[in-house]
Amino acid sequence: MSASPTTQHPPAEQTLILVGNPNVGKSVLFSKLTGKFVIISNYPGTTVEITTGHSTFSGKTCAVIDSPGVNELAARTEDARVTCDVLRDHPEATLVQVADAKNLRRALLLTMQLAELKRPMVLVLNMMDELDKVGGHIDVRKLSELLGIPVVPTIAIARTGIHLLEKSLDQAAVPASLTASLKTQQTSPTVTTNLPCQEEDYQQNIERLSYINEILAQVYTRVRPRKPTFAQQLGWWATQPLRGTLLLALILYFTFWFVGLLGAGTFVNFFENAVFGRHINPIAIRVVDAALPFPHQHRHEASEYKLDIPLAPGRGIELFSSTQQVLSPAYTIEPGAAHGWWNAVIRFIHDFLVGEYGMITMALSYGFAIVLPIVTTFFLLFSVLEDSGYLSRLAVMVNRIFRAMGLNGKAVLPMVLGLGCDTMATMTTRILETRKERVITTLLLALAVPCSAQLGVLMAMTARVSWGAALFWVALMVAIAFVVGWLAAKLHGGASSDFILELPPMRRPELGNVVVKTLARLEWYLKEVIPLFVLGTAILFFFDKLNLLEKITCFGEPIVTGWLGLPRETANAFLIGFLRRDYGAVYLLDAATGPNATLSPHQILVSMVTITLFMPCIATLFMIARELGKRTAAAITVFVFVFAFFVGGLVHHLGRWIGL
Amino acid sequence: MSAPNDYLHCPLCGFEFIKQQSACERGCPLGKYCRLVCCPNCHYEFPPELRVVSWWRRLFAPAACPKPPRDLFSLSELNEGDHAELVRLTSEKVSRRNTLAVYGLVPGSRLVLQQKRPSFVIRVGETELALEADIAGELVVKRIAAEGAANLTS
Ligand SMILES: Nc1nc2c(ncn2[C@@H]2O[C@H](COP(=O)(O)OP(=O)(O)OP(=O)(O)O)[C@@H](O)[C@H]2O)c(=O)[nH]1
Ligand SMILES: [Mg+2]
Ligand SMILES: [Zn+2]
Ligand SMILES: [Zn+2]
Repeated sequence: MSASPTTQHPPAEQTLILVGNPNVGKSVLFSKLTGKFVIISNYPGTTVEITTGHSTFSGKTCAVIDSPGVNELAARTEDARVTCDVLRDHPEATLVQVADAKNLRRALLLTMQLAELKRPMVLVLNMMDELDKVGGHIDVRKLSELLGIPVVPTIAIARTGIHLLEKSLDQAAVPASLTASLKTQQTSPTVTTNLPCQEEDYQQNIERLSYINEILAQVYTRVRPRKPTFAQQLGWWATQPLRGTLLLALILYFTFWFVGLLGAGTFVNFFENAVFGRHINPIAIRVVDAALPFPHQHRHEASEYKLDIPLAPGRGIELFSSTQQVLSPAYTIEPGAAHGWWNAVIRFIHDFLVGEYGMITMALSYGFAIVLPIVTTFFLLFSVLEDSGYLSRLAVMVNRIFRAMGLNGKAVLPMVLGLGCDTMATMTTRILETRKERVITTLLLALAVPCSAQLGVLMAMTARVSWGAALFWVALMVAIAFVVGWLAAKLHGGASSDFILELPPMRRPELGNVVVKTLARLEWYLKEVIPLFVLGTAILFFFDKLNLLEKITCFGEPIVTGWLGLPRETANAFLIGFLRRDYGAVYLLDAATGPNATLSPHQILVSMVTITLFMPCIATLFMIARELGKRTAAAITVFVFVFAFFVGGLVHHLGRWIGL
Repeated sequence: MSAPNDYLHCPLCGFEFIKQQSACERGCPLGKYCRLVCCPNCHYEFPPELRVVSWWRRLFAPAACPKPPRDLFSLSELNEGDHAELVRLTSEKVSRRNTLAVYGLVPGSRLVLQQKRPSFVIRVGETELALEADIAGELVVKRIAAEGAANLTS
């Protein structure tokens, strides 16, 4: 999903920068112009980084730049700063301002600010379909006359007007009449990042808006609106106390069903037992055995497989079930076989591929059979929610709660995305306005927001403990998030920002966009996860071969056995947890529910608590370091590490003491 | 800082506001020693009541006579579904006023109050905007007839 370096393109003769208010369709337009994929969603602040694409218009090669949405040219948030930097770095570029035709007033405010840069401009009036729906009409020709620049009406998602836009790029003009119209002489012809003269900014904006009102009076007419649509109605309900809460509960249950029961249950079961357990692993074992023969005999194990449609936890409609003997990675050496060095080498490679810590039997089957189905279902649902416009309404509902943690409702987007992947979510914290909010959100993501893969695995573990214990685990995590957030808010200096949030219109999610976006997120996720799974498995494998695993287990014994009261082998899980929490969790799941389960319910609870809070994965750490600096990343790491073991031990000892 | 939710009542027009909303002229010659507050509605300057006095009054004074009608309100006093025109922003923070301005919310703009809880949601033109209660309290508005503003009945 990131912009690949575009070196293979010829030097562009012209540069276009797409600028505009948030959520007006810049990214849609960008992908229609260049054919390049960028994340598009119905949430203001989707784009946080610039993306460059290439295209040819009327014989000229063009570089097109997609920028984060801004409401004004003063860089108050991180993503607005990105846009201001782009404008400064490309002084020769043509500006294509994308506007939401329904919100012409706001768009023109930005137009007037852009006009002061004295660059050739084109104004695109996007979302003409929605303007029509609300019963508005804009006299495009008149507007173009008044502004002195080409104005192109478009419906970006339907490709309407794109051709016209390409043609009008040649007529891009400096909107001179706009700057001349203001009484106050403009002070800043460059992009400003000034904070001191905000009062002046404010007065100018008031003046601009009154001038805009004069323009609107000439070009904008509004006929009587139609009845509110169902989507509109739903949008209003979504933020009301009672209906909103009901809707939220409904969505939460559906999420639980779709991701927790269907994804982490039915699909994982299918991939783990049917696909990997019965086909891929046995085939891999046979192939490796044929290619690298040494005298040994694989064991057969009974594999049970049941396909069902889940209804509620533990209940479902069974469609199909079977039991079958399959080849397992465990093997016995034939007695009296030769022990030459050649056999040792072959056995080493054999084990590396299909042994107990084998690349195929462990790394790939964990990655593809357990993690992939869960994150796929989650990202699918997340994309739908994102495109519907519900997430900002969710922000309204939870604002009060988030306030207690020194955040405001806007932090809900990174938090929810964190359930998919903490690394992506850490990057999305850029939409938050103050550093304090970014630090607290990042900390909470690192500490208490498990990604869906981990959550799915943990949910599978709750099946082995009582309802009470599972509820305790959920309550504890929520309580910890609050207390830590509250404390961090008290201790961290700096301010929280105002909660002023635009609610985008509710829209029906487009299937194509949802699928493409889910695939893009999955691609990013797999690129991050599979190498780490491979690396983690390799580490386990080598440690095992060198008999170091034993030593490390001993080393971790005081903490793992002494403090947490877990069997010593679970130290492996925490070792792997350094790379990825969810991998550690999968390992624990094996110990809890696998063929030779060793954990008691009490121990399962302790390990669940510890691994949920455990270190964010390596990739997230790098992202934290990139976004907040190395020192903050180090501080967060140390805190989370110590805190996880502290709370885990506390649960163990308290549990013992109460006698659970 | 004084308790943020101490409401002051203008003795002249009865407008209710909090101390931070005081419409004191910036550059008051007395600076921080000035003890007067200024009503954001009618600009009458008066010394705020001592807390003890106000307790005394509330306990023993006869019930206040009904407030005179007035035409300026803070947005939080309006009802859901009301249409209003923004008259003044009492916020001291320029950045806050600026954030509202870029959504088209400056003195003179029209808005519809859609809901008040859990957060305020207003509609300015075609933009739906969620605001926190304390920000909504800073918007001084006057009621207008429905057909003047964006047509919406919820
Ligand atoms: N009905 C309609 N919807 C559109 C149109 N163009 C874009 N959209 C939708 O508007 C939403 C926002 O589109 P984006 O391209 O992500 O907007 P953006 O300007 O890049 O937003 P930021 O990156 O957040 O600044 C998406 O849900 C699109 O499907 C249009 O012409 N008509
Ligand atoms: Mg975008
Ligand atoms: Zn008064
Ligand atoms: Zn004064």
